[in-house]
This record gives sequence, structure tokens and C-alpha cells, in this order.
Amino acid sequence: MEVLTSLGHGFAVALEPLNLFWCFVGVFLGTAVGVMPGLGPAATIAMLLPLTFNMPPTTAVIMLAGIYYGAKYGGSTTAILLNVPGESASVVTCLDGYQMARNGRAGAALGIAAISSFIAGTVGVLGLMLLAPPLAKFGLSFSSPEYFALMVMGLAMVVLLAGKSMIKALLAMLLGLWIASMGIDLFSDASRFTFGQSELLDGVDFVIVAIGVFALGEVFGNMEKRGEGTMLPVPKGLRNLLPTMAELKACRFAFLNGSIIGFIIGVLPGAGSTIASFISYGVEKAVSKHPEKFGTGVPEGVAAPEGANNSETGGAMVPLLTLGIPGSGTTAILLAAFILWGLRPGPLMIQENPDLFWGLVASMYVGNVMLLVLNLPLIPLFAQILKLREYILYPIIFGISIVGVYAVSGSLFDCWMLVVFGLLGYAIRRLDYPSAPLILGLVLGDSMERALRQSLMMSQGDLAILVSRPISATMLILAIVLLCLPLFRRANQWRVKALEENG
Amino acid sequence: MRCKMKLRSSIIIAACAATLAAAPAWAQFKPTKPVEFIVHTGPGGGADVLARFIAQTFEKENLAPVRFTVNNKSGGGGLTAMAYVAEKKGDTHAIAVFTGNWLTNPLTRAEAKFTVKDMTPVARLVLEPALIAVKGDAPFKTLKDFIEAAKKAPGTMKQSGGSITSRDNVVRQLLMKDTGANWAYISFPGGGERIAALLGGHVNMMVVEPQEAGEHIKAGNMRVIATVADKRLGGFPNVPTIKEAGYDIPNVEQVRGIVMPAGVAPDVVAYYEDLFLRLSKTATWRKYLEEQQFEDGYMKSAELAKYFDVFTDQMRVILKEAGAKVVR
Repeated sequence: MEVLTSLGHGFAVALEPLNLFWCFVGVFLGTAVGVMPGLGPAATIAMLLPLTFNMPPTTAVIMLAGIYYGAKYGGSTTAILLNVPGESASVVTCLDGYQMARNGRAGAALGIAAISSFIAGTVGVLGLMLLAPPLAKFGLSFSSPEYFALMVMGLAMVVLLAGKSMIKALLAMLLGLWIASMGIDLFSDASRFTFGQSELLDGVDFVIVAIGVFALGEVFGNMEKRGEGTMLPVPKGLRNLLPTMAELKACRFAFLNGSIIGFIIGVLPGAGSTIASFISYGVEKAVSKHPEKFGTGVPEGVAAPEGANNSETGGAMVPLLTLGIPGSGTTAILLAAFILWGLRPGPLMIQENPDLFWGLVASMYVGNVMLLVLNLPLIPLFAQILKLREYILYPIIFGISIVGVYAVSGSLFDCWMLVVFGLLGYAIRRLDYPSAPLILGLVLGDSMERALRQSLMMSQGDLAILVSRPISATMLILAIVLLCLPLFRRANQWRVKALEENG
Repeated sequence: MRCKMKLRSSIIIAACAATLAAAPAWAQFKPTKPVEFIVHTGPGGGADVLARFIAQTFEKENLAPVRFTVNNKSGGGGLTAMAYVAEKKGDTHAIAVFTGNWLTNPLTRAEAKFTVKDMTPVARLVLEPALIAVKGDAPFKTLKDFIEAAKKAPGTMKQSGGSITSRDNVVRQLLMKDTGANWAYISFPGGGERIAALLGGHVNMMVVEPQEAGEHIKAGNMRVIATVADKRLGGFPNVPTIKEAGYDIPNVEQVRGIVMPAGVAPDVVAYYEDLFLRLSKTATWRKYLEEQQFEDGYMKSAELAKYFDVFTDQMRVILKEAGAKVVR
């Protein structure tokens, strides 16, 4: 029960008025930057860092962490309402969230996102609190072959994201993989597909592609429909703006699935929250009784990825706090902040700075509650945006998208790239290609190629390294099962049909 | 565009204010409006943190009559910022942080339109030493142990590091050439992943910055077997440098300093040169170097120009040997 005593002590720290106040400021700012596409938590934390120099370190950490997990909450808002992913991890939320909004269930989708974020965020902190040291060891046992297998498993999800045509899904995925290969190759220092443009040396920013393909593609597609634009239905009355019991019940498994998958993937320093949300979406669809409805606006399709990207935060804190190893851009900046205050996250952190560790853990519980309370009342307000006429709404989406992209890099080149990917998104829609596999390929391509090449360098070119390690072998088998899933389904359909005909 | 214009007009307003306030002493150059401080990383990156610290120290210690505002020109692996500085030819109110990448990257990237030759060297500021580390329970107690093990089983020992143009790999290349040993080099994009690979036992050795490794060394998870530095480091008095360990290879420095656009008068360069000399003597700066475990590497403009040439020539040879395609 040592944990409970420590946690009690942590709550005493977190509930000090000063810490409570800054925790609120953190989660509030986090929600705000999460809602804004482009501007992400990493840049926000970096810019606010100087503000925290005069604070006690614990207070500062509580606030900056609040920005980090708060942004994950906010990211879903524009994804659901406008099909603009507010930050990279909410791309998956667009798939069903935006469809729910189109079906008049925008409020419900936002509500489910908030509730799922709350549950998963809390599970993530629970995991951080109870399992940090042993899990950190588990994270270290993952190396390149395991990451490669994880990415293969992720890529196998393409069979679940495909719409009517598997060929089209695979082509879209290949396009994504190709875009991912642009830029400088880490291993040879050669530049690939940069067309002589120095702007392309760092590759194509994922945010630009996601906003272009999803948001602008959607706007271009809708602009084509002439005449009186049909507005999205927004039901009146608070009750109709919140999820129904039936919807929440449908999400039971998704809450759990998202929480657990997000946390485990968060613990691995080389994965990331976008991968976590894709995998939990895929798992949800794979076990669902009505997989064919995914992509048309099912609540589970919102709950699973939103959950995963929130519990990923708790997971990502594990290697950061217990090993001093950051797994993402945001945690890297948090680490830099820790060092500036003279704190060194690492194996000795929990013993040497119990106040800070337990104070932070407790503040994350508090912050999650704050976020839920902060976000739920805003839902009816946010949902009103859909009442805007199209000739107002579309320019707004355009504006938000361009500002968002410009805010990341301050480069006009990137704004032109946004237009290019917007047109690509439009073409994809017109030709009836699914856009999710493209994004999947883009997210996984780079890390998957890297993991494969690292593995082969480790084994001096022997492919056996991929299957001789138990964790990677297991994941590769799972990937094969995933790939065979459509075949099973088809066989099953055929069997049912045969039975019906016989009977 | 709008933003830029706004920025420009606010600079003009500030400039007018500064001109009114400044005493009319024209004998020597003095900045009359806020100086743009260009860095090639986004907020929070290494060069950005350094620039912001310098700008803050200028204000705190009252070293300059104007403010220094950091401008992040990220992208293109540093080339975007380099092009930006080079195209500001003649601008006396712009300086930039350069790092070793500014010298190395143009060598291998055909896309680079400019090199540091298209800029004016101002001052070298810091040299960052590094450690050669192995896992805490590894059998290697000294660098020699590791090299001998690598010789016995060529190609099976592994080192984690950054891209092949990074210092990590340069140190490896030099050591391999000197000893005839041969081990694999596995690139990871993030510092965290490199450390995770070592701690998880997936690689045997790495070159790491003292700051990154500090806690792991204290906890016994990592052991330092040599330092990449000219002389022993304050934090590791018992660990020999590579040279002391018996391997006579040139010391590979990770360097940071200041450059400015080309085409500026000598008194302008002299002003900034002196400004950074005064900075390097403040207690705040001393403390910063100590905390970050950096070495003071102050060097004046003329020496720095020569240093650029020597460093670039050395890197060209090393990169060719490492198998990179050198384009200039």
C-alpha cells in the first residue's frame, strides 16, 4: 500500500492552490492548441518554457504536462466538426467522427471523444503509477526487429481500412509509403525524391498531408456540388447533443481497447500516438459485429482512437520519467525542460524527487477531471459551428488549414504543399479511393523502413532476426492473421449463403 | 507576407526609437535596431535553446544596446536557415548560430545553394565534448577492451548513433582506421532511441553527450570508457580521453558559434566579435558552460575562417571514407 501513501502525498502536492491553478492553465492551453490545427503541444511547450523559469519545478512540470495531455483532448474537435485533424493523432478520429457529424450526431461524437479521452487518460495515469519501472524494462526489450513487426502489423490494418476495393486501398497505401520516403535517408545521407528542392530535404510534414487530404479534399469535393448546399443537421436541445446510452454502451469495448493499446504503445519509445490510434481503430473494427459500418459514423470508431491517443500520454511518461528517454517531439521538449530546471529524469527520479513524480501523477488525475468538465459544456457551443452556411464554413476551413500549416514552419512552400495535397485529396475522392490507407502508409513508412534496415544491420543481413525473436515473431503472425481476415469473412459469407440456400 | 511586413514596420518603429535614444557616436558600429538572431531549429532545438539563452544573457548583463530576437528558420536539415542568412548579404543587424552541420551538410547535399563561405565568420563559442559509453554490465572496462573484442569478431559489435555524417560515426571511422578493427554502425534518428538501444542490450557501444548520459551513469546502467575531448572532463576526472587511451586520432569537435551575412564592414564584425568575447567572460556564461558540460571554445573571426577550412577539408576526407557521396 506504499503506492497509496505516495499517491496521497502526491495529491497533497497537486491540490495546493498554486499547482491547481497552473494545472488548469496547462490543460486549458492544451485544449486550445489541440483545437488549432497545425500548432501542436511541442511548439507550445517550447514557447512557454521561459515563462516557467520562475516557478517551482513541480508546478512548472504540472503545467507543461497539462499542455501535453490537454492537446490530445482538443485535437478531436476540429476532426469531428470540420474533418480537419487538430493534431497528428486525431487523423483516425476524422474517419468516423466527421461521418457522425454529417449524420447529425456531432454532439454525440464530441461527447464520446471527451468521455473516451477521460477514461483512457485515467487508465494511462493508473498504468504510469502502478507499472512504470517494470514496464520501462519491457520497453527496452523492444528493438528494431520488434518495431518492424509492429509497423507491419499496423500496415496490415490496411485490409480493415479498405472500402469497396482492396486494390484501390493498396494503391493509396503505396502512395503514402512513397511520400514517406521523401527527404534525406538517414543511413546513406542521400536525398530521395527532393526534386532539387531544399525544402523537401526534411521530407513532407505529416500534418500538411493530413490537413490537405482530409480537410481541403473534403471542401473541394463539396464545392463541386452546386445549388443550395445542404447544411449539416444540428439537432436542437441539449439532450440530443450528448451521446445516448445505447451509443455509450456500444463503446464499452472501445474504451477498454483504446486505453490498453494506447498505453502499451506509448511505453515504446519508437512508436507514437498516431500509430496507437490506427491500431486500436483496426482492432475495434476487427472484433466488431458490424465492421462494414465503420467509416460511416459509428461511435466505437471515435472512442477507440481517441482513447488510444490519450492513454498514450501516460504510457509515454514511463520511459521519459524512469529512463530519461523521450519517445516523441513533445516528450523530448519536456525532457529539455526538466534538464533546464536541474532535474534529471532517469532511473533514480522516483526516489530522488518523490514530490515531483507523485505530484505530477496526481495532477494528471486532477487534470483529466478538469478537461472533462471543461470540454463537456463546450460541446453544444462547438456544435453550433455546423449551422453556418457553406459559403461561410468553407472559407473558415480553408483559413484554419492554411494558418495551421503556416504556424508550424512559417514557410510559404508548405502552404503550396498543402494546396497540392488538397488537390490530391479531391482526386482521391473523385476516383473513389480511400484516404485512410494513404495516411497509414505515410505514418508507418518511414519508421518501418528504418526498423527493417536497422534490424538487417544488426544481423549482418540475416532475415532470420525478424522471426527468431519471440515478440517480433508473435506480431508478424498477428499481421498475417489480419491480412487473412477478409478471406475468412468471405468464406463465412459464402457458408452462410450456402446454408440458407440449403435450408 | 503580411506577417513579414508587420514585423518590418515594427522593426522600423523600434529602430526610430533606438536612434533617438542612442548617443551620436558614429566612430564605430553599434546596432541601432533589434538584431535578428537566426537559428536552424524549431523552438526547443539545441541551437534555439542556445540562442535564447544568449539573447537573455545580453539583456541581463546589459551587454548590448538593442534586443536580440530569435528567428526560427527550420527545415531542409539546416539549409533553409543557411540560405536565409546568405541571402541577407550586407545586413548588419542579423547574426546566426552555426553548428557543425552547417559545415558538413553542404558537402553531401546537392540541394545546398550556399556554404559558410557565403557568410562572415564572427566567433566560435563552444565545443561540446562527448563520452564513449557501454552498457553498465558490459565486459568492456576500457576502450581497448572494446576495440580488441571488435577485432576478434569483425562486424559483430554494434554502435548506435545518428546519421552517417554525425560525429558519432566520424569517431568510429577514425578509430576503425587507426586500429584496423571493424564494427557496425546503426543509425537512429532520436537521441532517446540511441540510448534505449544501448540500455536494452541491442547495441554494444555509443558516443553520447555527457548531459544525456548523466543519470544512466549515476545509476550504473551505463559505463564511460573514454571521452571525446582534448583534455579530461571536469565531471569525469578518472576517464581518459581517446588519445590518453592510446589511440592517436584527431579530436572530433562538436562546434557551435556565430556567423553573419557576407558583405559587412570590418568594424561591424569587430563589434559582434567583441560582444561575444564579453559574453564569454560573464559569470552567467561560465555557469552555463559548466552546467551543460561544454568547453569554452571562443575563437575570433579571422581564426574561425581558417578553422572552417581545416574542419571542412577534414570532414570531406572522413565522409568519403564513410561511404557518403561528397558533392563539393
